[in-house]
Amino acid sequence: MKEKIKKHHLIALCLLCLTGTLCWLTGVQFLSMRKTDTFYPSPGLSAQTKLSDYFPQLADSPGDTAVYCFRGEEEGGNLLILGGTHPNEPAGFITAVLLLENITVSRGKIFIIPQANLSGFTHDDPFEGNPQKFSLETPGGRRWFRFGSRLTNPTHQWPDPTLFTNAAGQALSGAEVRNLNRSYPGKEKGHLTEQIAFGIMELIKKEEIDLSLDLHEAAPEYPVVNAIVFHENSAELAAIASMELQMEDIDIRMEASPPSLRGLSHREWGDHTPSMAILLETANASHGRLKGKPSEALIVEGKDPNYVKASKLGMLFVPYSKDGIPIKERVARHLAAVNALVSGLRELNPDQAIDIGNFPPAQTVNEQGIGLYLHPPK
Amino acid sequence: MKIIYHLIVLLLIMNLIWYLFREKQFWTQVSIAIVLIMFFLRLFLIK
Repeated sequence: MKEKIKKHHLIALCLLCLTGTLCWLTGVQFLSMRKTDTFYPSPGLSAQTKLSDYFPQLADSPGDTAVYCFRGEEEGGNLLILGGTHPNEPAGFITAVLLLENITVSRGKIFIIPQANLSGFTHDDPFEGNPQKFSLETPGGRRWFRFGSRLTNPTHQWPDPTLFTNAAGQALSGAEVRNLNRSYPGKEKGHLTEQIAFGIMELIKKEEIDLSLDLHEAAPEYPVVNAIVFHENSAELAAIASMELQMEDIDIRMEASPPSLRGLSHREWGDHTPSMAILLETANASHGRLKGKPSEALIVEGKDPNYVKASKLGMLFVPYSKDGIPIKERVARHLAAVNALVSGLRELNPDQAIDIGNFPPAQTVNEQGIGLYLHPPK
Repeated sequence: MKIIYHLIVLLLIMNLIWYLFREKQFWTQVSIAIVLIMFFLRLFLIK
């Protein structure tokens, strides 16, 4: 009897040690996502600040993200570019990185936030099986970037309510409380995600931003894809940019921001600030529900046989062939749209013109890849 | 709030460890150990 008790105690002890080892292994893997990405701003950078400089309550919080400012010598328009609102939509994030690592500004001001929801980059979506990182080849070596979650990390903001009514009064499912693009205009004393949204609103107001762009991606089966989503205050600008893109053979649809869909950047930025508000969407197969096995290749190359079948069945809102929609094409599309919107702004209001140098050309990015314009890793 | 959450998770971990050592059936012990992994990660707020 005594021996039997000892045996199961010994097994318990071994299992406890095994549990500890597995916790350590998985913990190290999870915690690797908290390691911050390194960016190499262009020599044209005027200042690197934090969102907490606009909303001090964010200081030292997981939501206090970097703001890169490029100031021209001449007065002109002010532009805000947001990437990484949803860290599982990498083309928006990479476009912002590409811009901050290349551009110079001689007229006007540009503010770039590449990781708007920094907390969302510290974890990934449960049950999705997505890779934690993806890489892009540069002439000087491979650069790795985090592939995060659409939502703020629950260890930074919890628990989720059953039903979330955002600051704009829209009732949403509970988990959306951690979705930055459902939290505008934000709340000064709200949850972390609402505070990040509030901080971005403060930046738009304090820097008197004329044009605010939020870069996103969507599933190819989602109707609002390859689109410019515009607030009514920027309808004319969106139309000009759309025409310019069509002339460059870039097919883009215009979607008006529905006034009843509250809490989104393109709605609340336009309603609560004088800034023209626009959201851009590209088609990302790794984001879709029809995808096969999630992988780094799917994120970068965008090839998925399920989507080829779906395209043949007429289920998609974008053309999709066996060549897929690679990230270089998605980033090029964002770059072309940003460029068209900036030139449209100049056309509409010459006082708000912004002169940008070293702007990565969309066509070259599409043909030769993103790596050509990314700083090599140090 | 956070400390209460930690205390609840810690209490459940202690409970699971207690059952791990009391349990005599091997596969039930394995099941308890698997559940413990998730609770430990929760305790340290690792996600």
